[in-house]
Amino acid sequence: MKKQDLPGDFAIWIFIFAELLVFGIFFLAYAFARAANVELFNEYQQHLDRESGAINTVVLITSSFFVVLAVNAIRHNAAQLCARWIGLAVLLGGVFVYLKLLEFGSKYADGITLSTNTFYMFYLSLTFFHFMHVLMGMVILTVVAVKAWQGAYSAETHTGVETGASYWHMVDLVWIVLFPLVYVMH
Amino acid sequence: MSEIFTKSMARNIYYGGSVFFFLLFLALTFDTSGEVPKRDNHEAIDEQVALGKQVWEENNCIGCHTLLGEGAYFAPELGNVYKRFGNSTDAIIGFIKGRPVEGIPGRRSMPQFNLSDEELAAVAAFLKYVSEIKTARDWPPNIQG
Amino acid sequence: MKYQSQAVAKPYFIAAIGLFVGQILFGLILGMQYVWGDFMFPEIPFNVARMVHTNLLIVWLLFGFMGAAYYLVPEEAERELQSPFLAWALFWIFLIAGALTVLGYLLVPYAQLADITMNDLLPTMGREFLEQPTITKVGIVIVALGFLYNIGVTILAGRKTVVSLVLLTGLVGLAVFFLFAFYNPTNVVDDKYYWWWVVHLWVEGVWELIMGAILAYVLIKVTGVDREVIEKWLYVIIAMTLITGIIGTGHHYYWIGTPDYWQWWGSIFSAMEPIPFFMMTVFAFNMVNRRRREHPNKATVLWALGTAVMAFLGAGVWGFLHTLAPINYYTHGSQVTAAHGHMAFYGAYVMIVLTIISYAMPILRGQEASDPRSQVLEMWSFWLMTVSMVFITLFLTGAGVLQVWLQRYTEDPQPFMVVQEKIEMFYWLRELAGAVFLIGLIVYVISFFVKGGERVTIGSSDTA
Repeated sequence: MKKQDLPGDFAIWIFIFAELLVFGIFFLAYAFARAANVELFNEYQQHLDRESGAINTVVLITSSFFVVLAVNAIRHNAAQLCARWIGLAVLLGGVFVYLKLLEFGSKYADGITLSTNTFYMFYLSLTFFHFMHVLMGMVILTVVAVKAWQGAYSAETHTGVETGASYWHMVDLVWIVLFPLVYVMH
Repeated sequence: MSEIFTKSMARNIYYGGSVFFFLLFLALTFDTSGEVPKRDNHEAIDEQVALGKQVWEENNCIGCHTLLGEGAYFAPELGNVYKRFGNSTDAIIGFIKGRPVEGIPGRRSMPQFNLSDEELAAVAAFLKYVSEIKTARDWPPNIQG
Repeated sequence: MKYQSQAVAKPYFIAAIGLFVGQILFGLILGMQYVWGDFMFPEIPFNVARMVHTNLLIVWLLFGFMGAAYYLVPEEAERELQSPFLAWALFWIFLIAGALTVLGYLLVPYAQLADITMNDLLPTMGREFLEQPTITKVGIVIVALGFLYNIGVTILAGRKTVVSLVLLTGLVGLAVFFLFAFYNPTNVVDDKYYWWWVVHLWVEGVWELIMGAILAYVLIKVTGVDREVIEKWLYVIIAMTLITGIIGTGHHYYWIGTPDYWQWWGSIFSAMEPIPFFMMTVFAFNMVNRRRREHPNKATVLWALGTAVMAFLGAGVWGFLHTLAPINYYTHGSQVTAAHGHMAFYGAYVMIVLTIISYAMPILRGQEASDPRSQVLEMWSFWLMTVSMVFITLFLTGAGVLQVWLQRYTEDPQPFMVVQEKIEMFYWLRELAGAVFLIGLIVYVISFFVKGGERVTIGSSDTA
């Protein structure tokens, strides 16, 4: 008699909870800081590269979709297909990373740092923290893809795939909140 | 697809999480090291100030006092004592020099350290240097420390 | 005792308890000096009593950690300790060096001690908790390396368990971060930045790994719960420790001349530092609830549960109370800090060492658990020390809140010494609670020498 379990490993959900907690607190802090510095935040928000952010949003959502297809594949025992879909997801993750590096590079060239002003402190902190999570997610997905290719998963046993998928979806979800909050809303 | 609470997953999160945050901490440390020189008043550090820090340490002033809020809580904050004493190194010197050997009966007492004039001037210069470090929000909140 | 070499833990535990008594005697002197300002002045000025109090604390906890390692590692690794002789040698070296250092603090003016020990060659003296002469610090490193070699080889050549590996990681981390004690730049901001790499990354970092490992070991032994379950939770707990505690270091970087963004990073991450302590509490109670046996050492179970709760309250809750930057701006360097510090250290580290001693000492002396009368006294000492520590903390919190109100959070701040006089009542009460703590400690020591009482077994028709 099996209850509806959370997909993937239980332990990962503790950490997803912790991740959402920390990002949630960061977003709340952002809201607080913004309320105290509305003009500053509005002004410097204009200097952000919204186009790059928008493209990156599409990139991440698409890669999440590929991950969904990957999980679906392994549920039907198609391990190779699963690995390929994950590979594509990782590739898109790479696109995100590349665009982000361009964005950071541009700000760095303008002499902007964590200490420039409170808006930039939040912008850089939030996006860099998220960026590191994207990198981490890519590492996790790559490991899962390699294992899938090597036949470690099957329709009966593929907890690792679901765990990696959950993590990537979380990373995507955070960006979907971060982008409008930091880049767009004023 | 079952609720297997695997030890290896927990272990991987421990490894991954530790490495992740250690790297992040290094990145923030790197940024801090670039920023600190703009606020740490290092321009004021000369041989006299260096000697002053040495005297400060060799007499364990931190054992009773706080410096920028860190130390012991028996005696006053000294990070801003230079300002509290009217921006006067002489006042600081006079105070340290004037401590009675047997203490003040019934009250918290500061030892007489028998410092030389050179050491006294150095410690005062050190405290002046510390008082001019740009702390965030100008900590401490007021002149009393 | 399954392995002969586990016996080396005994002298370490005895030394730990002896130094603990010394620490508390000096604690009472300090508490007295808070209200009777020139008590023992000028022979033992406050700063000297303080460095004796804090250094004894750290050294006895280190003896406790080492004893714990010598006890549990052979059993976990399923082989004898690599070199019991080395363990004994290091015991005497550490004890004598420690004793000489404390005597140095007491018998000679500190500046003279610096002179005699040639501090000038590499000045590392004069900072809080790191008052030891440079040569003592070098000695500590050598003892640590010898200890790590001994324990490390034993583990690596034997059966590797999560408990022993996590313990080893914590101990290696302790040694590595201690090296920052040798970095003492003239630049005060730099000095303070890296000083916390010793202190914070110890007590809010690698020491939590040591504590977690010892707690897991004791729970495996007294509850009989499957090792797999306990070790998984240990990983989760230490993961949360490092995930929150590494960036959490930033809560020491608010006001010392470091950039403003630490107020945000430090607040956010240190606010989550109670999570691993909360998990440890849930974990400990859960494991005891799910126990598969009634271990005859009831005192140990009490210590284990008490450790988790007090660590959560002292380190977690009290830490949280003043960790957010907007609050810390007013409470930084006040009696609120002292309140948190005492309960955190007692709850997490004093208690985990007393827990392992409670478990291991009877076995080292030939019994699975002490006689009932001994256990009863031990449990009395638990309550006396723990409740009095709670009161010490409450009184210091009261002192701190009033101090902040009068000296910091006001348009009309009063001078430090004036405020100290106004909060004196709290200090008297604290000293009273401290005296009760000492009574608890004396009862604790006595418990080791008491025998007898009827052991009640389940299903027995005798009534106690």
